[in-house]
Amino acid sequence: MPSQTTTPYDIVASYRRLLSEDPDLTQPVAAIESLILGLANTPATTVSETLDLVSTLTAQLKAGIPNSISLSAGTDLFQQYLITNLQRPSARGDFDQIRSHLVQNGRLFVERAKAARADIAGYGRHFIRDGNTVLTNGGSRVVGALLRNAAESGNGRGRGTIRFRVIYVGSPSGCGKSASDNETAANIAALRERDIPVAEIPPTAIAYCMDTVTSCFVGAEGVVENGGIVSRLGTYQMAVLAKAAGKPFYVVSESHKFVRLYPLGQRDLGIDQRVVEFKTGKGVVVESARGQTDGEGGDSLVVGESKVDYTPPSFINGIITEVGVLLPSAVSEELIKIWF
Amino acid sequence: MASVMQRGQDEPFDVVSTYHRLLSEDPELTMPVGAIEALILGLANTPASTVSETLDLVSKLTAQLKRSIPNPISLSAGTDLFQQYLISNLQRPSAKGDFDQIRSHLVQNGRLFVERAKAARETIAGFGRHFIRDGNTVLTNGGSRVVGSLLRSAAESSNGNGRGSIRFRVIYVVSPSSGSVEESESTANIAALRERDIPVATIPPTAIAYCMDQVTQCFVGAEGVVENGGIVSRLGTLQMATLAKAAGKPFYVVSESHKFVRLYPLGQQDLGIEQNIVDFRTAKGSESGTERREVKDEGVADMEVETGSSKATGVASKPEDAVDYTPPHLISGIITESGVLLPSAVSEELIKIWF
Repeated sequence: MPSQTTTPYDIVASYRRLLSEDPDLTQPVAAIESLILGLANTPATTVSETLDLVSTLTAQLKAGIPNSISLSAGTDLFQQYLITNLQRPSARGDFDQIRSHLVQNGRLFVERAKAARADIAGYGRHFIRDGNTVLTNGGSRVVGALLRNAAESGNGRGRGTIRFRVIYVGSPSGCGKSASDNETAANIAALRERDIPVAEIPPTAIAYCMDTVTSCFVGAEGVVENGGIVSRLGTYQMAVLAKAAGKPFYVVSESHKFVRLYPLGQRDLGIDQRVVEFKTGKGVVVESARGQTDGEGGDSLVVGESKVDYTPPSFINGIITEVGVLLPSAVSEELIKIWF
Repeated sequence: MASVMQRGQDEPFDVVSTYHRLLSEDPELTMPVGAIEALILGLANTPASTVSETLDLVSKLTAQLKRSIPNPISLSAGTDLFQQYLISNLQRPSAKGDFDQIRSHLVQNGRLFVERAKAARETIAGFGRHFIRDGNTVLTNGGSRVVGSLLRSAAESSNGNGRGSIRFRVIYVVSPSSGSVEESESTANIAALRERDIPVATIPPTAIAYCMDQVTQCFVGAEGVVENGGIVSRLGTLQMATLAKAAGKPFYVVSESHKFVRLYPLGQQDLGIEQNIVDFRTAKGSESGTERREVKDEGVADMEVETGSSKATGVASKPEDAVDYTPPHLISGIITESGVLLPSAVSEELIKIWF
């Protein structure tokens, strides 16, 4: 930690503030922005000091947020970017100049990441045809943008030429007050304004309506190395039901969400979330041999709405990103391109 | 109302309110048995002096009952059973003689039927207990009394301490939004199991796929068992069955045999009841209004008749009463008090009951 500043830079607070201030920001991008702010606010005069600072801040951030899969995509990306830039031969000379150049480029990255959503909507629009019924999980801004774009496409009056219907799966807690539920409600209202019929169903009715559905679109918190995704609890269930009914299941995600993680199952995500917790009259039954105790601290427990599950690549038909539409097997190629 | 028969009565017999009263008074009563009891009370309270008058009365009361309940599948199992029983008894050669005697005999037998139906739950628990072994993890939908008593029986089996010798765990799927009777039923079941040292976990309906790999088998109850061996049960049961099949886990239905219905649905929309689960709406309002108009424009003569009869109930289901249909290929076995049946054996059972 730097000793010259009066108050030490609190990256966790900065990260949370960025997320709440800008509703369009995704977790990895917010992580990158908070790291950039950390760099800008903390004086460092050598290359190794800078790299050390960034890794310290990253570790702090990951320890402070229970579900760190998504933001780790951003932090790892930023670290990689720094290392390649600082090790270039032209990086001799005024270090301050280099640092401000880095900070600027970092901001450019954030702008591009936000613009990616429009590109994705452009690609994804071709997957929705006349007469289709689209099923989606709520709360994903990318999917909302894709659907709105499809609704408006190609017609000057603001009403699209594609006539499709949308079924939104509501969150299990019924009336939600979280940010993602407000996002969902806003998406639904926007679609209904454009004369797209939208139905809202409880999560128990997915199998019931699956035979009327043409395709499913979901967002992701992170896309893992084998092409699977880590997403809101309930996504894996939708994927299994879609596969059982023979319906295509598409993931919509920006490419900065690709994580270098290779989970072997639901409990191999490296986070501590107790979805299935057995209790008797005497209290909670502790499963000691499980490896769930790998979580760092007691307060890094994922609770409530932010629980996630892992959907293996065999259930996913395509991943729509701003660099194009990928098969799950192409994700590792993309990761190599980003990282090496 | 059964106005023709009112000559001697001060107030007409209200079968619908009797039915609701019976269900609320006795929490152990299932819908078909409640319907049968209501019909028996109707028979006892309304004077009828000929066989055809009796049969006519019963069918009128049955029609009244079915019209007032949004989802009449379950109770129709009971009413159809009772009607069948009446017809076979009243047409027996020994049924000459004092009609009142026959009627009271019928009413008595009806009561015996109700007692047997309640006792069926114990028999089912006895059969089902063998499906749960040491180390198993059982997944269940909340709210079924039969499943609750099966699990409790397995928990208590064969040990004098009140603690069973089968060590198993239970995962209950609880829908957090409902505050209905079913939820209090689940809570009571869960508390009873926990008291007997059975670890119970409650999960939201979105986590079924997540935990399916640690589950050994699933047990659900049913509102009705249909002719092809499928079941009509609470919304979400089809989902659990599909996920169990995808993961290769057995899926058992636990049901009394008086819930077998003479219905053969071809899909979710073929149940003969009106429920609006998927309701498409735009800024202008519900789409279902335009759909009906389109159907009429088709100009197909018998389609109009069909939509007319399926809307005969006129009462739409509430969202928490919604049901779905689970086809037989997703079901591994049906545990009843006459034994454990494969779905294909259900039509045999129905023939035995009905002919």
